[in-house]
Amino acid sequence: MAGPGAHRRAVDGLTLTVRPGRVTGFLGPNGAGKSTTMRLVLGLDRPTSGTATLDGHPYAGLRDPLRRVGALLDARAAHGSRTAHDHLLALAVSNRLPATRVGEVLERTGLAPVARRRVRTFSLGMRQRLGIAAALLGDPEVILLDEPANGLDPEGIVWVRTLLRGLAAQGRTVLVSSHLMGETAAFADHLVVLGRGRLLADTPVRDFIDARVRPRVRVRSTDADALGTLLARHGHEGERAADGTWTVRHAHVEELGRLLAGEGLPVLELAAEEASLEEAYLDLTAGEAEFTAQPQEV
Amino acid sequence: MPFVPVLHAEWIKIRTLRSLLGALAAVLVVTGAFSAVTAARADRSDPLYSVFFGVSLGQVAAVVFGALAVSGEYRGGALRLTLAAAPDRTRWFAAKVVAVALPVLAVGLLTGLATLAVGSATAGLTWAQGLRGVVGCALYLTLMALLAAGLAGVLRSGVGTLGLLIPFLLIVSFVVGDLASGAAGYLPDRAGQLALHSAPEGPLGPWTGLAVTALWAGAALGAGAWCVRRRDA
Repeated sequence: MAGPGAHRRAVDGLTLTVRPGRVTGFLGPNGAGKSTTMRLVLGLDRPTSGTATLDGHPYAGLRDPLRRVGALLDARAAHGSRTAHDHLLALAVSNRLPATRVGEVLERTGLAPVARRRVRTFSLGMRQRLGIAAALLGDPEVILLDEPANGLDPEGIVWVRTLLRGLAAQGRTVLVSSHLMGETAAFADHLVVLGRGRLLADTPVRDFIDARVRPRVRVRSTDADALGTLLARHGHEGERAADGTWTVRHAHVEELGRLLAGEGLPVLELAAEEASLEEAYLDLTAGEAEFTAQPQEV
Repeated sequence: MPFVPVLHAEWIKIRTLRSLLGALAAVLVVTGAFSAVTAARADRSDPLYSVFFGVSLGQVAAVVFGALAVSGEYRGGALRLTLAAAPDRTRWFAAKVVAVALPVLAVGLLTGLATLAVGSATAGLTWAQGLRGVVGCALYLTLMALLAAGLAGVLRSGVGTLGLLIPFLLIVSFVVGDLASGAAGYLPDRAGQLALHSAPEGPLGPWTGLAVTALWAGAALGAGAWCVRRRDA
């Protein structure tokens, strides 16, 4: 499908299938078209061409759509002067859901104690929880959450992760957008990466890590120079830090450990570095970010 | 997607906002209070308007109610959530319109009866005039609230809608009305308020005047519905 936009296309030639039973992380820099895609699916924005369907049906044709699809698009959607309970009650009634569902989702999202408080007194994290409560209201099999972790404290992020995993384990289809790789890798099984409205990757998280995260080993010895010579001799590409620590790309600890032991070089430190997931993502989306800061002269 | 649940949801949205309930109460209080003042010094040439004069100020509260009931949907992406739950936009807007119209109609009838009860003692109205005043008051207030609701659907802003309508009602219509009485008689407030005069002058009668206001309100609602349907939410 292709998205709207008088001056530029927010989404272009995007074909995407989101499968049930797993959490699909929908990743991309700001302005990549994640929110637009979700709005297109819900029939809120009109595609200039193509279709967005759920089980082959357009969203607008659904009877009681909240029973089929639950969405969190914007945490500010609840009117500040209304209570959390009343906000959810109006939604429940519109889709002929029993009023008891309101209490259930408030309980599930931890908002039961503040159910009768006005939404304007809520923190961003509490509003996110209210948005998630609204998405869960109809017990839907498809769940779309746009940046649900925004504004949540670390405890809240752990809660979202557990919740999403649980929903997927029940066989539901869960699509969660984020602009943070680390956050997404923590709760998603599958990754869809978008950049400037185009699909950059559609792959299991594990494959993404294996394919893109180049292993790196940090190694330190009593004799940094001898270590450097040894690495060069065996064709390893290393970088030396001021304290004599070498960082070796495309290497594994097993390999280097044996090598150093064979040479009889004393090892002070030998560690694999896995922290480059975020780099792999930045590497993939480099040049695809809509708004990037110009490198600054220092 | 059935209509009644959507209407019920829209009614819940209205009754759970204090500002909207306040605006409805203000229709009654403002109209009643100003009518009580003018009815006490009833103008013999137009006793009905002396009793119902308060409507020309009470309508501001009705307009505020209609505008805010719709403009609340344009804050913070609320409309997206609303339309995700009720994707048939025409049906949703129709439910919103009914949910705005019914409370104003009820409060308008109550206001008309209260105003009549306060003023009729001094004004000496006939039964027919009194009845026309009460019904006219209720219908006029409802139509003005719907005019505001339709405009808010076009402008997507409560401040914008009220910034346009309130100066129009309180200033422009009075000034223009005095300058050019011919065409100005067809302005929505001028035409509709004919129902509140003892003996309306000019080409429009009390009920045709209300019909003209209904056309204005209908046009605004049509434009609002068109915008809701055509624009991205």
